[in-house]
Amino acid sequence: MAVSSVLKINGLEREFPSEGVPETLLDLLNALGICHSTVVAEVNGRIIERQNFVNTRLEGGESIELVRFVGGG
Amino acid sequence: MTPVFFELRNSVVGVAGLGGLGSHVAAALARMGLGRLVIADFDVVDTSNLNRQQYYFDQVGMAKVDATVANLRRINPEIAVFGHQVRLTAENISEIFGGVDVVAECFDRSEQKQMLVETVLLRMDVPVVSVSGIAGYGRSNEIVTRRISDRLVLVGDGVSGSGPGVPLTAGRVGVAAGHQANAVLEMMLENGRKKERRSWQ
Repeated sequence: MAVSSVLKINGLEREFPSEGVPETLLDLLNALGICHSTVVAEVNGRIIERQNFVNTRLEGGESIELVRFVGGG
Repeated sequence: MTPVFFELRNSVVGVAGLGGLGSHVAAALARMGLGRLVIADFDVVDTSNLNRQQYYFDQVGMAKVDATVANLRRINPEIAVFGHQVRLTAENISEIFGGVDVVAECFDRSEQKQMLVETVLLRMDVPVVSVSGIAGYGRSNEIVTRRISDRLVLVGDGVSGSGPGVPLTAGRVGVAAGHQANAVLEMMLENGRKKERRSWQ
């Protein structure tokens, strides 16, 4: 597998065979159907501020942690 | 008196939100002997809160901050409580909770949870215990505590969001609040933070 077609998301490797990985972190969230306003994201161990999801570029091979929040408290 | 007792008495915890989670977490920490609490919530006590939040009928209409301070002083007269009746934002969180050893995320809305966790991880250097997925009835054993990363602990089942037909209930919220109070204590002891204390003594 080419590095540029794989991302590790929450510990599991996921392939994006046809088009390669999404260009940005925001594109990835959209592809996964995850709302950006309810997720905290880390790329390669660094937390990414929500306003920067759109300009965080992905090359492939990154390790991404996504923590989703649901309401209630 | 154990080392845990002294650690608790010399620690400060920030509680963001004083609803079903926050009101119980604050009370549990007070009963366990925590020395200082910084609490924040803009809201007032409503009759609809009484099904799960640690307030009383004669407190309806009071600011939650004021009601919580009163309740905590009745539990533990020695506890120092600093209350802020404000809406927490990314801009004021690190100022309001500056100096705390651990932050407890006790908000209701998922966007607020995201905002607080992101802000604490980005702009502060303390752990945060957050909660996601505690709505509905029963299923106590589905509430878990997970260490997500070095500074983030997550309580809940991760999926049970509150909404129409899926209410927040005292039993399940109570289980989660207990998990959260325990996780706050564990993070506090693990880090054994000896930050320079403010001169509020």
